[in-house]
Amino acid sequence: MKICRAPGILVTYALGSCIGVCIYDPVLKLAGMIHIMLPNIYENRRDNIFKYADTGIPETIRKMEAFGAIRNRLVCKIAGGAKMFEMNDNSTIGNIGARNAESVKAVLAKERVRLVKADIGSNYARTLYFDASTGEATVKAYGRNELKF
Amino acid sequence: MAIKSYDDMDGFELDVLKEIGSIGSGNAATALSQMLSMKIRMSLPQVKILDYNKAIRELGGAETIVMGVLVQISGELNGLILYLQDLNFIKKVVKNLIQQDIEDYEDLNDLEMSALLEIGNIMISSYINAISSLTGISINLSVPVTSINMLGAIMSVPMIEYGYETDKLMTIGGTFMCDGDEVYSNLILLPDIKSLDYLLKKLGVESE
Repeated sequence: MKICRAPGILVTYALGSCIGVCIYDPVLKLAGMIHIMLPNIYENRRDNIFKYADTGIPETIRKMEAFGAIRNRLVCKIAGGAKMFEMNDNSTIGNIGARNAESVKAVLAKERVRLVKADIGSNYARTLYFDASTGEATVKAYGRNELKF
Repeated sequence: MAIKSYDDMDGFELDVLKEIGSIGSGNAATALSQMLSMKIRMSLPQVKILDYNKAIRELGGAETIVMGVLVQISGELNGLILYLQDLNFIKKVVKNLIQQDIEDYEDLNDLEMSALLEIGNIMISSYINAISSLTGISINLSVPVTSINMLGAIMSVPMIEYGYETDKLMTIGGTFMCDGDEVYSNLILLPDIKSLDYLLKKLGVESE
């Protein structure tokens, strides 16, 4: 999890089935980024709460609020959640990306943060840049055109 | 006492795993050499316990494009085996097997992809065979799957699979070099902790 102000750029590399969540306060030009690996935390695990959607996102928002962000103003863009390997059965490896995406969306709704844009699913890795001065996200992927949103 | 995390292992246990890696990699290198009728050299296999970011750095960086072949193992041992091959290695293989020159991953056609997948499968199987015959553990392999993409994303697959257990990865792997050129391919064995315990027990090096 990282938070920065304009003119900084946040980046997270090689998102596979993980999801990069960018939360942005356009008035303060304050950006937070978190790299979600798994949908839910287990009760007995309290190691790195930023790995999990249900604990990482609220904590990021809380930290951003400590820097003066106002919840009503926050917008969010997400990328990732791909299916890296085509597994035949319904193993966790096959569908973790989709489960991550579902969980991130549910948590954002619960936290009342508006999800404005998303680039999720499919089967390729993404590197996600987020520009704190414009609130623009850029996704770079192997063998694909750069996507700005 | 059973080990609870990768960090619990002492030097002796790591040495045993290194030996396992050594035998497995040796078998895999032999198989590869026979397939390609090339001289294959292998480095001394290493057992490393690394956190995720460091593992990726060591293997060439998150955004490096590699081809990964992934097999799930089940039965008495559970875990994942990942076989990584880079473009230079792929070029060599395709040239030797199918007499085609390729420039980039995008040049690979279905036949070549299938051949590379099979190479991965054979490498992984010979590796597992070695472990299985050494320990008498029966291990089932899933159908291999493949993906050409960023290393970071491919490595995140096993990392997520064990994300609830650990932040670290244990890699038992060897690097192969062929034809005097430094082309790399890596075999990484990632057992889950329960299986690792079982494996060590079977080998008679259970820690006190």
